[in-house]
Amino acid sequence: MTDILQVLILGIALGGVYALMGSGLSLVFGVMRIVNLAHPILIIGGAYVAYWAFRLWGADPLATLPLAALILSATGILLYKLVFEKDAKSAKYSEMTVLLTFSVAMIAEGALGSAFTNTQRVTSPDYATDAIFIGDLFIPTGQVYAGAVSLAIIAALALFLKFSRFGYAIRATTQNREAAELMGVNVNFVGVVSFAIGVGLAGAAGSLISFVFSFFPGKHWEWIAVLMSLVVLGGMGSVLGTVVAAFALSVIAAFVGAWIGSTWSTMTFFLALFVILLVRPQGLFGERPELA
Amino acid sequence: MIEFANQTEDSVVEARKARVLKMAKGPSQNRAAWFPLAVLAILLVFPALQFVGNFNYFIHLLLFAASYVAMASGWNILGGFTGYISLGHNVFFAVGGYFAGMIFARYGISTIILAPVAGLIAAILGFALGWITLRVRGPSFIISSLALVMIARILFDNWEFVGGAAGLALPANSLPVEWSKLPYYYAFIAMAAFAVWASYRIKHSKFGLGLRAISKDEIKAESAGIDTRLYKIGAFAVSAFFVGMAGAVWGEYLTYIRPNIFLIILVSVNMVLICLLGGKGTVAGPVLGALLIVAFNEIFVATLGASEINILATGLIMALTLLFFPLGIVGTLAKAGKLPRILNWD
Repeated sequence: MTDILQVLILGIALGGVYALMGSGLSLVFGVMRIVNLAHPILIIGGAYVAYWAFRLWGADPLATLPLAALILSATGILLYKLVFEKDAKSAKYSEMTVLLTFSVAMIAEGALGSAFTNTQRVTSPDYATDAIFIGDLFIPTGQVYAGAVSLAIIAALALFLKFSRFGYAIRATTQNREAAELMGVNVNFVGVVSFAIGVGLAGAAGSLISFVFSFFPGKHWEWIAVLMSLVVLGGMGSVLGTVVAAFALSVIAAFVGAWIGSTWSTMTFFLALFVILLVRPQGLFGERPELA
Repeated sequence: MIEFANQTEDSVVEARKARVLKMAKGPSQNRAAWFPLAVLAILLVFPALQFVGNFNYFIHLLLFAASYVAMASGWNILGGFTGYISLGHNVFFAVGGYFAGMIFARYGISTIILAPVAGLIAAILGFALGWITLRVRGPSFIISSLALVMIARILFDNWEFVGGAAGLALPANSLPVEWSKLPYYYAFIAMAAFAVWASYRIKHSKFGLGLRAISKDEIKAESAGIDTRLYKIGAFAVSAFFVGMAGAVWGEYLTYIRPNIFLIILVSVNMVLICLLGGKGTVAGPVLGALLIVAFNEIFVATLGASEINILATGLIMALTLLFFPLGIVGTLAKAGKLPRILNWD
């Protein structure tokens, strides 16, 4: 019983981080119809911001989180202007953008790799290796902090989307781009801003994972499939769905890791992605099978 | 109406068949069929230079390019003609390589002889996988193909029978060093020629016409009476065949089968990039693209060294192609009416 509870706790603690990693991806797809395969490498970019801030100034990754988010948002805007604005009207847009984001991911991987080498990195603030003990259970502090901060950020995002006027415009664009435009929403501006928010979330997620996982540029391939599985299971474009899917898959992966073997725990995500795409391409909360 | 009713059913079928063939065939009037044959002839006698000096490096480059011509021409049948972009075709590369490599290691049967069998195994797997994954299209298909590579990588990394992540060493052949590359050279040239010929024949068959209709508009193709599902799965299997065949010989050539030779993303990216750059959906595109990409790789690795730069450059070429020449070199030139005759292989 303790074992089950222990695995459950570890799964939930990571679930929050996965949720934050996936939510930016989901937001960008919802608004822009861009499947951003470069999201994971941008997360690693955010992790490098946290890593260098930690190494050079000893800054806490949690404190430099806004910095990472800002730097990545700026990158996002630049990226959008350079790459994605051009073809937004073409018919095969979302298929084209998969290949485009894929090549952006390679460019970023190569750039990060040649700047910082492919050595495994990790930031190690005091709490990263700490744990809270309750009876027989141990709860790794770093993961709890990361999970809590992730959930706080996602809550803020949800409130912003739900109650602010701009969030209203974002949701309208997600639902129906043409109708939103007819109602006077500047959909291009909404697009840029939500892309910037999405990539900014990648930056925030990056500073959190910098002390939860070890990372190097080449690792993003694995995360592409992991994050896509969350987003697809949740229903592309549904941030709530992504959060639910993140917790579900993270817990399942934790159990697979504990009972079958740690090499197979990532397999959970890949198999889930494969199966969901084929069985229920619209995911849990997605309504429109447009992607299929 | 009356006239139509008087016709027997057979003659309608005949007339339709004739019309379909007319639409499918009609090779371009401007093409120069002698050029690919001349290139092939030159490639076949090229190794004679070994008598006067050591050209092993050039033989390696040509062999490398030929392997990519075979793979990219195969990929082109699914990605170019049918319009289903797969980023997971290196799974078939691995399956072909492991199948032939394991038999070669255990029973000593040359992978060159085994290559067609390895291709068939890959095609059967492609048929099965296509049957599952071709339910979805567009971005979903691309993502599912990526998931496939990840799954295959974990499976091969943990499959002790085939050596796991460390892989398996294969014996090198006993030919003197100046001739040792030649069996593989001719094998890959033959595969490349076969793949180019096959993609030409497919493009101008009823099957190919159906595939091209699917890439234009799948729903219209379906309502025009094409069994789109069967056609797509067929295209998947045929494209897997060529990739699997190339994989078979590649393992013996490198004297190694190991997951991080076959199942790295750069291999499948190269297939995609070669077709995009050369012009997907054209016969000459993959050949031109393969030559350019192999040359680029060689220049980047020779001058800049690090593999990170190679990844960056590959991504950059891909992004620039997608943004500025989405039709590729052959496609863009053909659209502008400036395609030189020697590059018109359609």
